[in-house]
Amino acid sequence: MPIFAKCRRNSGLNNHGFLRYRSSMTLSSSPSKRSFLCRSAVLLLAMMVGCALTSDDRKIQPIVYSHKSHIENAGLTCTDCHSSVQTLAAASIPNLEVCRNCHSESLSESPEEAKLLKYVAKAAEVPWERVYKVPDHVYFSHRRHVVAGRLECEVCHGNVQQFTMPVSLPEIPVTMENCMSCHRKHNVTNDCLSCHR
Amino acid sequence: MPKWAMVIDLDRCTGCGACNVACKMENNVPIVDPDEAQNGRAMFWMDMVATYEGEFPHTEAKHVPKPCFHCDDPPCTKVCPVGATYRNPEGLVGQIYHRCIGCRYCMAACPFTAKVYNWYDPKWIDGAQVANPDVSQRMVGVVEKCSFCAHRLQKVKETADVEGREIQENEYVPACMENCPADAIVFGDIDNRNSKVSRLSRSYRVFRYMDDLGVKPKVYYLARRTSS
Repeated sequence: MPIFAKCRRNSGLNNHGFLRYRSSMTLSSSPSKRSFLCRSAVLLLAMMVGCALTSDDRKIQPIVYSHKSHIENAGLTCTDCHSSVQTLAAASIPNLEVCRNCHSESLSESPEEAKLLKYVAKAAEVPWERVYKVPDHVYFSHRRHVVAGRLECEVCHGNVQQFTMPVSLPEIPVTMENCMSCHRKHNVTNDCLSCHR
Repeated sequence: MPKWAMVIDLDRCTGCGACNVACKMENNVPIVDPDEAQNGRAMFWMDMVATYEGEFPHTEAKHVPKPCFHCDDPPCTKVCPVGATYRNPEGLVGQIYHRCIGCRYCMAACPFTAKVYNWYDPKWIDGAQVANPDVSQRMVGVVEKCSFCAHRLQKVKETADVEGREIQENEYVPACMENCPADAIVFGDIDNRNSKVSRLSRSYRVFRYMDDLGVKPKVYYLARRTSS
């Protein structure tokens, strides 16, 4: 089980596919069929682990940033740093100026904060890795979803308030399937030209 | 729901070609090599059709700007096997590049040759073009055409939506209209009887290109002169 769990985490397989696969194993009755299934399961597992090792697309952030401590300890809200959520299409990844507003000097013993202070001292932007990105043929506007659609950030980005580690993988993969499932559920337009360009 | 339409006043049009250039820049339409353009692979969303009438030296040139006509009964959408081109509720005929398989049925079906095919991946002459980030760049093997600058509508709609109002007249304008120095192009909601485009479409000078085909183009031409 642990290796299954590890594999699932690494390859980003969802729970649904994982469970369906297991149930097909337990349903089989004849021994020869079972051994064949076991062997193919091992093979599949090896392939999945191999895939996970080669095509791991998680992003490594330059600083181990904790959303939780910023929200719970510092009392910030999402829009304090991601300031253009309600006004522009892009929510904006905060630049150094935003960090410097609070971190002009050391606020804690954290070694990660020391990293930030180095960037502040050099006046160099922190090279944050962008995790959520829509392709160029899609028009996505945060403003429209947050102001007109009244969506909470959590709907797409997960419970970021509890994240102690930096964001490395999208909570919900940015795919048209995920867009459309929500659009269908809330009876929002499914006209191609409303998003595609 | 508005229905977007265009009126092109040929009595005002000077044939300067500003609309062609503006369209190319706005929509990242690739620049084709001169040799390939000679083979009929020149790419325009807003084309300038030139006809010459009369015997030299008494010739008369007529220039007709020709975008996609966004027909109300479009023949291109009926032949598309994958649904990459379709007519949306606002009357825009959309082309979804990532769904297009490049069969070019729609190009054959279009009586106005409004569609162009990407024979190559886009390549720009050095410094000639900086891509507009609001419009995706098409890849090799897909068909593209004038979209009535639908990417501008997306932004205008959002602003109107968030501010809780209707889209105003002349808030959503395509690049060709914006750049026409003679104000020959008028664009707007034809279902609104008070809009300029609706008034002009009821003018006595109005005609539609190949109107007898029954595809109901939504680009109206105005000309006092008769076409021969």
